[in-house]
Amino acid sequence: MLSLKESAGEALSTPSPALEVSDIQATVLRPRPKPYCGEYVILRVGNAEQGREMLRRILPHVAPADEWWVPSLPGWLGIAFTFEGLKALGVPQSSLDSFPIEFRQGMAARAETLHDFGANAPANWEYPFGTPDVHIALAIYAKTNQDLQEVLDIARKSHHDLPQISVVYRMEFGELPEGRNPFGFKDGLHNPHVEGSGPAPAGTEAQVKAGEFVMSYPDEKGETANVPIPLELRRNGTFVAIRKFHMNVAAFRRYLRAEASSPEEEELIAAKMVGRWRSGAPLVLAPNHDDPALGADGNRNNDFSYANDMKGLSCPFSAHIRRVNPRDALKDEVVAVNLHHFLRRGTNYGSPLPEGVLEDDGAERGGVFLLIGAYLHRQFEFIQSQWITDGNFISHGTEQDPLIGNNDGEGVFTIPRAPVRRRLKGVPRFVSVRGGEYCFMPGLRALRWIADLKPMMEADNVRSR
Amino acid sequence: MATRTVTKPEDQTFEQKIQRARELYATGSEVGKAALEVLIRDLKSGTSRREPATRMSSAGRIGNRQGKVSELLVIAPLAPGGAERLRAMLELRDGDFSDTDKVGTVHDMRFLLLDNETKMLFATAYDGDWDPYIDDFAAKIPDGLDVLFGGIWEGWPGIHSPKVKDWIVSHQIPAVGWYVAHPDLTVKDITRLKRLGKAVDEFLDKVQ
Repeated sequence: MLSLKESAGEALSTPSPALEVSDIQATVLRPRPKPYCGEYVILRVGNAEQGREMLRRILPHVAPADEWWVPSLPGWLGIAFTFEGLKALGVPQSSLDSFPIEFRQGMAARAETLHDFGANAPANWEYPFGTPDVHIALAIYAKTNQDLQEVLDIARKSHHDLPQISVVYRMEFGELPEGRNPFGFKDGLHNPHVEGSGPAPAGTEAQVKAGEFVMSYPDEKGETANVPIPLELRRNGTFVAIRKFHMNVAAFRRYLRAEASSPEEEELIAAKMVGRWRSGAPLVLAPNHDDPALGADGNRNNDFSYANDMKGLSCPFSAHIRRVNPRDALKDEVVAVNLHHFLRRGTNYGSPLPEGVLEDDGAERGGVFLLIGAYLHRQFEFIQSQWITDGNFISHGTEQDPLIGNNDGEGVFTIPRAPVRRRLKGVPRFVSVRGGEYCFMPGLRALRWIADLKPMMEADNVRSR
Repeated sequence: MATRTVTKPEDQTFEQKIQRARELYATGSEVGKAALEVLIRDLKSGTSRREPATRMSSAGRIGNRQGKVSELLVIAPLAPGGAERLRAMLELRDGDFSDTDKVGTVHDMRFLLLDNETKMLFATAYDGDWDPYIDDFAAKIPDGLDVLFGGIWEGWPGIHSPKVKDWIVSHQIPAVGWYVAHPDLTVKDITRLKRLGKAVDEFLDKVQ
């Protein structure tokens, strides 16, 4: 009988080489500032030379990840490109052709794989998401509005006299009180630790090879990404799946109210869905009641595994955080979890729905997530299709993630209990997809490479390296 | 390869389909011709006429899917000595496929020697898509597929090869028709239902 290997990277004992943090964008490795505000801007490039001129101007302001563990900059700028965007900038055809199929198709075309049906279908997305008008995405993070305006001004000046560069989308975001998400949960608590990127925070699980998140370093398979070509383009670059979600907070509260017989039970069901209490305290460590001190303690709130909860009695198999980041929960399955991580840069938008309100006020509120990794196919797409919108991997049939699954009012949520499990039915869609895009986020030298492309280089003359 | 009809099957009326089948069967054997009339009578009377729970759809790049279950059939030439190795491996196992059990998504696997033992046909039914999990197989059960195919199929590139997906696809033949009794049940569902059925039986035994 064959035995399961413990982890994909087991055979590799050599640690990742030091990352070229001065060439990697800050957005990839650096957690958002705290508190934070910011804006996403989407640009359309109508003329390749104007696009490259814009790039040349904005390039010096794109934040590198140097000293990323000391968030000293007041605001920073990240920049990424869709496939259509790279085309519009005149990236050579041989380079374009070398990108993975999912990136070339774009997120909207992958709707079937991603389970983006019904209300989540690309046809229902906000303009310009899912259209060929999305070329360049800017993500600006700052600590204060003043800092934000400064960076926005830099961005504006990069193209204000270039008529073929148009702003097709702008969206502000900002922190909600107490660092909670619109549902009222403390968020942004966990990310995998990138080997070679700096000291690991307390309580993080094993480090993940840098090549999973940044190209040109060895990954968990012991390989180094060899596309897109040339090396100058992919070095220190990565992919970003952007997802904009609307969160129906009133529906969430109403559902809890309907399923529970007391406010305490409402909180318990909510925690079972998320896998953490509102404070951030994980259910595995605090199975019965919230523990705000634990939730607030960055040294402890990620220091847990599912080894002592293999029946899911504390944290349900189907709980959001156990699905999206199973840690050691699937160690007996033929799944190499280290091949299925992403770095998550989440931001919230809209105002909170006032406490106690059960009717939807029609306001737009939710989150925008940048899900970052070197392999969209086995990272974002795998997590979305196998772990979020299916239940077979945990023997739960077609049960989806109770919080962010594409449930249509007939969703099921299983809460293991002794002696008899509890099963909630009629789970509605609490989170709707408002839009999304696959982007390529190059390293700084690669940005320069794109910016300095000459019109004659647009001919198909890039040799495979 | 399947021959193409001028009219797509879904565009034909039931009567047109009957007529076309009768014409084609008329030049075939008598037993087939007579049996066709029984089928037509049954379908018309509605005794066996029902909307299927699922219809064949694509299982990704190639192959078919019925609900949650997909089919994969590959025919490729045997490596010299491949047939002997296959038999030796199966004899060694003596029915022990616990490595396959571990995968948790494989309904069946079939190995057939064709054309005077110069080719092997491999057919399986499995849950969902195999494609997303190929890297996991390579990482967690690195020898699981190589022990079945390595040294047996000529040119099997090995599970770690980046070419393995393309190799499989290039030798895969999608089914023209495929019946699945329970397209809504995965191997994991069946395991769960068996456990549940046993528990219910025990309960009923106690309360009877």
